[in-house]
Amino acid sequence: MLRKLLRYEIKATSRTFLPMYALLIVFALINKFFMAVNSSYLKIPQAIAMSVFVFIIIGICVMTLVVTIQRFNKNLLTDEGYLSFTLPVRVHSHIDSKMIVTLMWSVLSVLVSLISIFVMSVNETTILSFQRFMNELMAAFSQIGPSGYVLILEAVLLVIFGILSSTVEIYAAITVGNMSSKHKLLTGIGAYLGFGVIQQIIVSIILSSSDKSITRYFNLLETAGEFAQVQAAETVLLVLIAYMVIVGVALYFFTEWMLRKKLNLE
Amino acid sequence: MENILECQNLVKFYPKCLALNSVNLTVPKGKIVGLLGPNGSGKSTLIKLANDLIQPTSGKILIAGMEPGIETKKIVSYLPERTYLNDWMTVNDMIGFFGDFYQDFNKSKAYDMLARLGVNPSLRLKTMSKGTKEKVQLILVMSREAQLYLLDEPIGGVDPAARDYILDTIIGNYNPEATVIISTHLIADVEKILDEVIFINQGNIVLVSTVDDIRENENKSVDALFREVFKC
Amino acid sequence: MAWNLKSDRPIYSQLIEHIELLIVSGIYPAGSKLPSVRDLAGEASVNPNTMQRALAQLENDGLLYSQRTSGRYVTEDVDQIMKIKNGLAQGLIKEFIENMENLGYDVKQAIQLLERTIEEEK
Repeated sequence: MLRKLLRYEIKATSRTFLPMYALLIVFALINKFFMAVNSSYLKIPQAIAMSVFVFIIIGICVMTLVVTIQRFNKNLLTDEGYLSFTLPVRVHSHIDSKMIVTLMWSVLSVLVSLISIFVMSVNETTILSFQRFMNELMAAFSQIGPSGYVLILEAVLLVIFGILSSTVEIYAAITVGNMSSKHKLLTGIGAYLGFGVIQQIIVSIILSSSDKSITRYFNLLETAGEFAQVQAAETVLLVLIAYMVIVGVALYFFTEWMLRKKLNLE
Repeated sequence: MENILECQNLVKFYPKCLALNSVNLTVPKGKIVGLLGPNGSGKSTLIKLANDLIQPTSGKILIAGMEPGIETKKIVSYLPERTYLNDWMTVNDMIGFFGDFYQDFNKSKAYDMLARLGVNPSLRLKTMSKGTKEKVQLILVMSREAQLYLLDEPIGGVDPAARDYILDTIIGNYNPEATVIISTHLIADVEKILDEVIFINQGNIVLVSTVDDIRENENKSVDALFREVFKC
Repeated sequence: MAWNLKSDRPIYSQLIEHIELLIVSGIYPAGSKLPSVRDLAGEASVNPNTMQRALAQLENDGLLYSQRTSGRYVTEDVDQIMKIKNGLAQGLIKEFIENMENLGYDVKQAIQLLERTIEEEK
């Protein structure tokens, strides 16, 4: 059933994303054309095309957020919820499908933006400098050894869990907001801020209780070698990933429970 | 399992009111049943409970002996008061959607009914009037070969011609093994097609009887009896 | 013939009366096949279970018979149909006489009035 939900979720969201991506590529090409011509007569249209390009990238970022909120809210908590929640599907499959699709579009949006920038700016000098950059990066890696790849893997995982966890945080806030009969939006925003505050409190409690050992650890690092510093970076990333996972999982089960037990569609 | 729906001391409290007050009820298989009561009497609450859309405060509700959940959703076909069709899909998309998620969905039945209604299935739902959307939704719900149909106010707010269309669709698709529960406050229009009626008021079941028993014993229509029972 | 069902009498007995009327008036002649329960129920806009019950009663009365595979038929016994037809006619006549008596006519006067009215209609 999750596969079917995913298919419809992608169908429902691609209507918004694909045209934006197409538009972005088109403007990348237009900009590329202006740069190639580089005529003083075309300075103004060139500037306009460039700012439109930037606006589209910003638009895609905003849209990813808006679609995340909208799909969850509209498909589950408005009239459409009467259909969604009477499908023979578990509540967590609904959350899963929406979360996965948000992750997919977030990653795709970044990739498409990078590709469009690459397409726009690709020429001999940029390729050369890109090559130089890659060479230096590889050199750095060979120096660090295999833990460099661990760092990259951790960074990727952090991004993925970061996106998932903040998506679930938004879902939890929307769900709490929906419990209020009159001020859904306000309650939702309040809940979102509330989650943030709770997290801050917990983090600061943990930090202050282990304050000394952390300071000692970093003091040691200053005198330690490069290898230990890389290892420290690995640990820090790991802690961040664990934090994202814990917050995400807690809010995920909270959201699922609220939808299953406390929901009352109007 | 002879009863398709059973309530045992079913209670539902909302934050400010008691919606169902210890309801005991059994609805057998193979009947068309009217769930009749004034606005706010608890009809929709009962139907939402049966659909697992809300949870009982205490007591039990059983569908074919099971508590509401995935297994009951497979055999219950629900028409809510609201139109839940999203705007961007076409009727074809919706039929595909129902076919994907409900194993008991009969596509050819749906296409037949749409053709009779004169709806072009490649149209987007956005382009349709509210009345047409409601009919499409009814067609989708009735095209399932479910064991229990729960129709919440299917004829509220539609014109008399549409009302006849809806009632004919319900009778035309009726399968003697299945039970149809129709909640409404417009009794005169539906009483001809009902086997049994359940009167509900302020969260209490007031009366359960067959239509012909009421007519025989009281010498009046269910509608007239209803007006008497619920006189303000 | 439209199914004019009254709302203050059991649907079931009204269905029986209506089908009897359809049979004695020759719309469903002796030995002919009846539409399916579902079609009849749809035509009358009534619950199929109620229609089923009415047909079962008519079967009991001997006016219909069913063949397991092919459906329900009107009896071929013309005498029986005539008996019911006469019964219905007698009922109407009794009702007529009763109504006339309520207006103050005796039977003889009622018949005279009836004949005169028919004469005038011609």
